[in-house]
Amino acid sequence: MKKSLYETDEAVIEGIRRSDERALAHLYKLYFPMISHFILSNSGTDDEAKDIYQEGVIVFYEKIRDNSLELTCQIKTYLYSVCRRLWLKRLAEKGRYATRLDESEGFVPVEEDTQRHEEQEKQFGVMGEALEQLGEPCRSLLEDYYIRMQNMQDITDKFGYTNTDTAKNQKYKCLQRLKKIFFATYKPEV
Amino acid sequence: MLEYRAYEEIERYLNGQMTAEEKAGFEALVRTDARLAEQVREHRELLATMKGLGERRQLRQKLHLIHEEMEREQLPATPNGWRVFWNRHKQTIAVAASVSLLSVFGTLWSVQEMKEPVQQQTARYVELRREVERLKKAQTALINGINDAAKPAPRPATFSGTGFAISPEGYVVTSSHVVESADSIMIENKAGLKYKVSEIYRDEIHDLSILKVADENFQTFGKLPYTFKGAECDLGERVFTLGYPREDIVFGEGSLSSSSGFEGDTTAYQISIPLNPGNSGGPLLDDKGNLVGVISGKQAGQEGAAFAIKSAYLLQIIDELSLTAQVNSLTIPKNNTLSSQTRPQQLKKLKDFVFVVKVYN
Repeated sequence: MKKSLYETDEAVIEGIRRSDERALAHLYKLYFPMISHFILSNSGTDDEAKDIYQEGVIVFYEKIRDNSLELTCQIKTYLYSVCRRLWLKRLAEKGRYATRLDESEGFVPVEEDTQRHEEQEKQFGVMGEALEQLGEPCRSLLEDYYIRMQNMQDITDKFGYTNTDTAKNQKYKCLQRLKKIFFATYKPEV
Repeated sequence: MLEYRAYEEIERYLNGQMTAEEKAGFEALVRTDARLAEQVREHRELLATMKGLGERRQLRQKLHLIHEEMEREQLPATPNGWRVFWNRHKQTIAVAASVSLLSVFGTLWSVQEMKEPVQQQTARYVELRREVERLKKAQTALINGINDAAKPAPRPATFSGTGFAISPEGYVVTSSHVVESADSIMIENKAGLKYKVSEIYRDEIHDLSILKVADENFQTFGKLPYTFKGAECDLGERVFTLGYPREDIVFGEGSLSSSSGFEGDTTAYQISIPLNPGNSGGPLLDDKGNLVGVISGKQAGQEGAAFAIKSAYLLQIIDELSLTAQVNSLTIPKNNTLSSQTRPQQLKKLKDFVFVVKVYN
């Protein structure tokens, strides 16, 4: 039942666009063995396989959500190509170029996508660290407001400010600090 | 406070909460104020990054849950350590396995192939061993004879050695260990002449015994073709012997390799003739056909080291023997008829004077 629902690539993509979590789960489970086998047979571990595969799925997922994906091949091929690219990069970082990669299956050029993804990862990493550095209650306050989209009143109650203005003022100060930390560390590679 | 207000404005602008008028005014302000424009850009990036981070975290969490769910579903099918090991090393394992299989079956096959010749060899080997066992006994006797002449050599019921004539009157010499503790002794030559003999003298120190034909009808051996050499032989001289290490007479040739015998015994020579039990008591002759010694034994466990009592001691015994009353007619041969002949001719003449000594006890 579940399977027949997402039998085709189009159905899966449509499902992801509709924010259907089952579509994502179906996709995830469908191709994990393939990537896992690829990573394991190229000197990777189970954990690394999981890691790389999730990165690959994220790249794919976000491109679908952005509507920026022009899929010229099967999802399978795209995922394989992305994961292969990411794994090559990871191997290079580990200093193990010698590994002969299993090139039995075809792949499509995904250089741009993976690079964009890595840039984003870097940016998010810096942001995560900046938030950490900010400390409490600033971090929670900003995350609640900007990430979890809670309204100012809830936040005021949660953090025990006397009124929303105090909360807003606090948020402003926090944001100011975050901005400083973030732009001090993050230099986009242009 | 100005900054704070500006933030509010920027956020409202970015969130699209401004009215059309306000927006137009704000955008006009941004166009003129570069600093404000930069702030707007930064603010936008900051918020976008924060939002992206939030979404990414959420997605990761989701994928993590999916992964866990998947692992639960296919727990039995999850690649375990062995599976990973197998996947990684299956090529190596396959190669190793095929090599070992190949060698196992190859060995089996070749063993099968070689079974026939091996069986033949085994048969020959067993034969040889039987002989070796016999040799061992006899050999011990030989050595015993040299080392400790007083000690009786262990002997089978019938023991055999070699002897040779020292005079035409029926005197024969052999090693004393050959005839030790003998009840009766028979000698027989290649021509088939058989005589019953008795031991008339023994010198255990030099391991020599003189036998005499006990047959009353016995006339003579005939003229002996060899003479006895009293002087010491030189190193490296070609020497040869005839003996009965088996039923037939056997010729052995070599050279004199040392002028002293076993453990420096100066009464013997070391000779490089392959000898076997049964050779004991045989004559050792030089190229010219002079008798230079009497074969006595060989060193166990050492190749090519055999020993012969020097003929000088034989002559000494013969002299001693002449002094006793019972021996009156012992004439030592004076003429050597072998000196100018070829080896086969020498042997033809010699072989009638070399006897197998059979001991019964």
